[in-house]
Amino acid sequence: MHDVPVHHHAPPTSFLRKHVFSLDHKVIGKQYYGLALIAVFVGMILSWLMRIHLGWTNLAIPGLQLLSKSGAPGGIITPEYYLQLMTMHATIMVFFVLTTAPFAAFGNYFLPIQVGAEDMPFPHFNMMSFWVTFIGFVVLMSSFFVGDGPTLGGWTQYAPLSAVGAVSGPGQGTGVVLWATAIAIFCIGQLLGSLNFITTTLDMRTRGMSMWRLPFSAWAWFITSIMGLTAFAVLMPACILLILDHVAGTSFFVPGNLVINGQIQPHSGGSTLLWQHLFWFFGHPEVYIAIVPGMGIVSHVLTPNLRRPLLSHRVMVYSMGALAVLSYMVYGHHMFVSGMNPVSSLVFSFPTLVITIPSTIVVLIWMGSLYGAKLRINSPSLFALGFISMFITGGISGFFLAQPSIDIMLHATYFVVGHFHLVMGVAAMFGIFAGTYFWFPKMFGRMMNETLGKIHFWLSFVGAYCIFMPFHYLGIAGNVRRYPAFTDDYLQPLIPLHRFITVAAVLTGIAQFIFLYNLVHSRFWGKPAPENPWEATSLEWSTPSSPPPFDNFGGKLPTVYHDPHQYGVEGASADYVMQTSPEQIKSGHDEA
Amino acid sequence: MSHADLTLEGYSAAIMPPAFSIPAKKMAMWLFIIADSATFAACLVAYGYLRVADAHWPRPFHSITNVAIMTVILVTSSLTMLFGIDAAKAGDKAKAVRWTMITAAGGILFALLHIREWLGLIDEGMRLFQNPWGSALFGASFFSITGLHLLHVTGGVIALIVVGIRYKGGRYNSDDLEITGLYWHFVDLVWMFVVPLVYLLNLSH
Amino acid sequence: MATAEAHRSSTGKYIVVYVCILAIAALQFVIAYSNLDGSQMLARMLVLATIEAALAVLFFMHLWMENRGLLWFVVILTGFVIFAMQYSWTDSFRLLNGVPWAK
Ligand code: HEM
Ligand SMILES: [Cu+2]
Repeated sequence: MHDVPVHHHAPPTSFLRKHVFSLDHKVIGKQYYGLALIAVFVGMILSWLMRIHLGWTNLAIPGLQLLSKSGAPGGIITPEYYLQLMTMHATIMVFFVLTTAPFAAFGNYFLPIQVGAEDMPFPHFNMMSFWVTFIGFVVLMSSFFVGDGPTLGGWTQYAPLSAVGAVSGPGQGTGVVLWATAIAIFCIGQLLGSLNFITTTLDMRTRGMSMWRLPFSAWAWFITSIMGLTAFAVLMPACILLILDHVAGTSFFVPGNLVINGQIQPHSGGSTLLWQHLFWFFGHPEVYIAIVPGMGIVSHVLTPNLRRPLLSHRVMVYSMGALAVLSYMVYGHHMFVSGMNPVSSLVFSFPTLVITIPSTIVVLIWMGSLYGAKLRINSPSLFALGFISMFITGGISGFFLAQPSIDIMLHATYFVVGHFHLVMGVAAMFGIFAGTYFWFPKMFGRMMNETLGKIHFWLSFVGAYCIFMPFHYLGIAGNVRRYPAFTDDYLQPLIPLHRFITVAAVLTGIAQFIFLYNLVHSRFWGKPAPENPWEATSLEWSTPSSPPPFDNFGGKLPTVYHDPHQYGVEGASADYVMQTSPEQIKSGHDEA
Repeated sequence: MSHADLTLEGYSAAIMPPAFSIPAKKMAMWLFIIADSATFAACLVAYGYLRVADAHWPRPFHSITNVAIMTVILVTSSLTMLFGIDAAKAGDKAKAVRWTMITAAGGILFALLHIREWLGLIDEGMRLFQNPWGSALFGASFFSITGLHLLHVTGGVIALIVVGIRYKGGRYNSDDLEITGLYWHFVDLVWMFVVPLVYLLNLSH
Repeated sequence: MATAEAHRSSTGKYIVVYVCILAIAALQFVIAYSNLDGSQMLARMLVLATIEAALAVLFFMHLWMENRGLLWFVVILTGFVIFAMQYSWTDSFRLLNGVPWAK
């Protein structure tokens, strides 16, 4: 059989269609990546400001008064402004980095190539998906400059304080409305994206590419997009109801007779828990939306470096699927201490403990596959190992939090902050890094600098543990999260630890500029990449050039003959067999 | 030509048959419907949540005539949509366009009756933030749920007219009409839940 | 729709479904005037609405005629997500009754 020619359409020539409103999934993927890159540095600088404030509360940060006169008079951050910075940090990171980079950016770029398609089925939706997300980001950032600044309610925006307006603090009026608008817009963008991802996977696979022949990363994006489809569809109306509480005088999330700052609120009949139910119904699937693509990327990156398949392709995919299903049944574990009915705590605790099973299986597959393997050590594989390490460390604290009786003590302390920064924040970031080092040669035709990559890894790895491990001790010592300063007696002894964390955070942050330098430098002056630098089998390494041509496979579609994990194949001409290679293999690993 | 436009036969030559033997466009509409169901379900659950928690939830509706007429119109418009699609599949273009426009007219009639009802309620003093009968959340949830539905009806009418005209002009084919029909039936389906939950349970006795 | 006959029979089917849906809706209107208490009435309304919706999905939206895989995909995914959403009720009842169920 020969590769089938496809109807050829000419690449766009105008600047706007080529670079701005491009319909090409590869350009859109890069746009998403660029957005995430801007967002992650903004978010990181915000975290520096927070950390400096926590370590040295009365330190003036020169120039900060330019950003907000009232929030940082003379450069000293007020408690309220601390919370505003924190909220923006979290919102930017969760939505515009951890959702966009591993899912929207890499997914857009590589999902169509990995299934062997020339593009997604709905390029216009795809373009809208990015630009809508971008508008969401602009709306969110605009809240820095409007009225008394961004909202201080945290990325969870708990009612009633998020719903009563300016009386509950600076930024709680316009700030919340802008926040909710930005997130509702973001939801639309991700819904459009999910629609494209699912149809791409279901309907665009090239000849021979059965579902079980999809690589892990494609499976992960597929599963994630199904979660995205239903989770964002619930967050969007929740945000709209929140906006109505502000602009239309409704009281969906505000009960009656509420006194805030000495003023009785003109609301009645609403329920604060309703917001939490709606938010976490989205919120827990969202944390898996952030991590499952990372799992896929890590598996995809590890396999070629192991030179043998993972223990099981199918069990890995089933586990990711089980995570997706269970993620809809556990959201109440964020509400153990909310005043939710105590029986519910029990009901949610059980599936929460059950969800550790697929998580553990995923980890065991990686560990078992690593056992005895001659792993090729390079930047992508190091970051993949880092991901696994962070996921395990952060996951273990999940076991404790999952039990209501223990969570009563740990809830809303730094223990939780340590948990989710390791398991979601750093792990997903490492997934993004692994993906970047791995796919950069394909995206730009040049290699990234290995030495810099390894330095970047070790600094980030050690740094992340220095920052986030002590969080657990702080939490156990009773340090409540979202405190802008530690004035209470029992917190005084913890200040040195906070200062240590601050120093670690600033240094680890600076190390990220090595990555930025590597990225920019390699983009223009990096070593030209060989055709298949990692000797990997999946379809992105079968395109005629790096970066791939406009239609990905150069006027034809490939035909697929094998699983994506034909490594260490006995009797084959090389130790691996490309998915597109018609070579017959005697003792392959084909499960499909 | 992109993959989305490939017919089922076109698929098999170059790529795997689509997972559920339907073209990507139709799959996308089903996915949209799944997401939109979640959106409406979240709104209805929120409404129910607030209603259940309130011992003095108002039940102000006196007459079911209007909502009954609206229901008949909307369900009938689903039927006329089907006639249009069937005609399109049978190749009778003129008939298909006619039925599609009748469907759109049904949607417009529905929207007009709905707006008239809204105006009546607003006249009686019902607002998003208050009403003369009891819990202020009654108005809030009524207007937001029916408003969201009305928004869908409006979008649907516009889609029907646009797709109908383009189908007539030859830019769209009977599949596109069918996919628009899927959306229209879904709007009807949501109404089947809105009527009992938002209207009938709030009927005064 | 190759033949006129197949066409006519599907028209017939649509009309039957249409009448069924309207009949169920009418039944809902009748129940609305009965003196059932809240939860009883809600249960009946929901069951009837679900039947109506199922008729619409299966026959108006042709899900019955599509690939069975699509039927399961749509029904299981939507059903599961909507089902998972129902947990919030317990807190709503508790606000009113002090216990997480209807009284
Ligand atoms: C091993 C499985 C896991 C278990 C048992 C678990 C359990 C929990 C529990 C019970 C909480 C609530 C703690 C509290 O607020 O008191 C929590 C918080 C959190 N978890 Fe996990 N978790 C697990 C894995 C994950 C994963 C994989 C992610 C993300 C990728 C994640 C992200 C988060 C986040 C973001 C929060 C805090 C949200 C907030 O309050 O701002 N968790 N986890
Ligand atoms: Cu969770």
